[in-house]
Amino acid sequence: MESLKKINGELLRKIEDLQDQLAEANDTIEAIRSGQVDAFVVTADHSNEVYTLRSADKTYRVFIEKMTEGAVTISTQGIVLYSNYQFATMVGANLSKVIGTSFSDYILHESVEIFNQRLKDFDGEDGKIELMLKGSNRNIPVLLSFGKLEWDDELSLSMIITDLTVQKNAQHELEKHNDQLEEINKALEDSNHDLQQFASVASHDLQEPLRKIQMFSNLLWEKLSHSLEPEDRSFLRKIERSAKRMKTLIVDVLNYSKLSSNSNQFTKINLNNLLKECVEDFEIIIAEKNATIDFGELPELEANAGQMRQLFQNLISNSLKFALPEKSPRIEINAHIVDRKSFNANPHQNGRYCHMIFRDNGIGFDQKYVDSIFGLFQRLHSKDCYEGTGIGLAITKKIVEKHCGLIRAVGVEGQGAIFSIILPLNQK
Amino acid sequence: MQVSKVLLAEDDFDDRMFFETFVTGRTDMLLLGAVGNGAELIETLHLRNTVHELPDIIILDQNMPRLNGLETLRLLKSKEEYTHIPVIIYSTYISDNLVESCLHSGASLVLSKPDGIDGYKAMLDKMITVVSIKDQSS
Repeated sequence: MESLKKINGELLRKIEDLQDQLAEANDTIEAIRSGQVDAFVVTADHSNEVYTLRSADKTYRVFIEKMTEGAVTISTQGIVLYSNYQFATMVGANLSKVIGTSFSDYILHESVEIFNQRLKDFDGEDGKIELMLKGSNRNIPVLLSFGKLEWDDELSLSMIITDLTVQKNAQHELEKHNDQLEEINKALEDSNHDLQQFASVASHDLQEPLRKIQMFSNLLWEKLSHSLEPEDRSFLRKIERSAKRMKTLIVDVLNYSKLSSNSNQFTKINLNNLLKECVEDFEIIIAEKNATIDFGELPELEANAGQMRQLFQNLISNSLKFALPEKSPRIEINAHIVDRKSFNANPHQNGRYCHMIFRDNGIGFDQKYVDSIFGLFQRLHSKDCYEGTGIGLAITKKIVEKHCGLIRAVGVEGQGAIFSIILPLNQK
Repeated sequence: MQVSKVLLAEDDFDDRMFFETFVTGRTDMLLLGAVGNGAELIETLHLRNTVHELPDIIILDQNMPRLNGLETLRLLKSKEEYTHIPVIIYSTYISDNLVESCLHSGASLVLSKPDGIDGYKAMLDKMITVVSIKDQSS
């Protein structure tokens, strides 16, 4: 009887144990079903045994396995409970070997401390850290995004590991390009500075000896011209002419370089008055060449007065210079307000741009040379036929550009040239 | 005819020679002397002041060692005994900035150095006007 009682008691305890185990198993099944569990860790005396499961929600798993990021679940002690294939590939390990190991084994020594600290501080809040992982044949910079995952009422971490190699390389490239850009900017600044220096040297130091040449040859001429042989007189004249040409060159180069440097000052300008003044400046040549300059109503616009004057001067002197020998030069200047910054723009009363047209009946030019017309020191004609430095139209173009405008030239050989200019009425 | 006494500060030997040559040909100008820079000019003025023989016009080259034209001009205009003397600054190249600074500091004229005989004569004609303008106003 005693023994029966004893057996009965043992059986009852066993039933209780089994009921407990059944409840636990039911809980586990429930956890697996709801996707809360990826693996079991059975803590043995000296090691962790891990059992992974193929969950019912296969699509989710396929997604995790196929994505390009690494996906890892770890315990708060840092043991890998689950890893996708991608992470194993990243660290160059066999997938089955990864699970159950310590995650910090895959972290490069210098990053381990950061990771451990974050793991220690983990309170269920989402977070991100950048780490270096030990890859199979190189170190991999990664972004580790982690979040809370319930694990049998115990806290665990789900982590997404993004390979930053491409981003880091791109960033590095970008930094390299930025550095290069900075260097180029510096070089540009230096060369601008050099240009300024050159302009200053040209303005003072080059003009000084030149003026002496002019003065002394002028004095020689005064003293000797009556007693000199005709050939020697022509030599002296050539010295004077060359010096004069040099002087023009220096002044033109100086003007050109000034345009590159200073910031522009704009004021409201009445182009009619400015053009009238310019035409008056050419009075003598106009009379000499029997030239006519006609111009219609020009608008008021915001511009640099000195530069606008130079623009008019250059274009008018250009037309007077390149006149046909058998024809009286005729220059027509017209302007109208247009609706946009284009040579094809339509006239528009309330437009924001001015389209100016300078038309002459001079020697014109072959349209195939149009690109070189505005270049510095570019000449279409020998300087023996037409004087000039080859800077005038380069200056003109620069002035237009300084005013955010457009300029173009159209020529017909033996018939004339047309210069069209678009200028904004207001400068920003 | 009134003869205007001129004192010149010019460090360039050739330019001094040009100046002397063209002034010598005139009856309305007398070159009291030519010195090599602004500092020397101030010293010369001090000496002349003691014997009551100050110039009617002071002409300064802009680019000179020790004291350049503009610096000398400012010094002269700060000294009561010299403020009445018209000062002219001339240079091979005169920038807009230089002209503005000189006029602002009290220069009567700012001129660029000529490159020929006619230009030189015209420049001296212009320089002598500062005396006649001054005479009319006083």
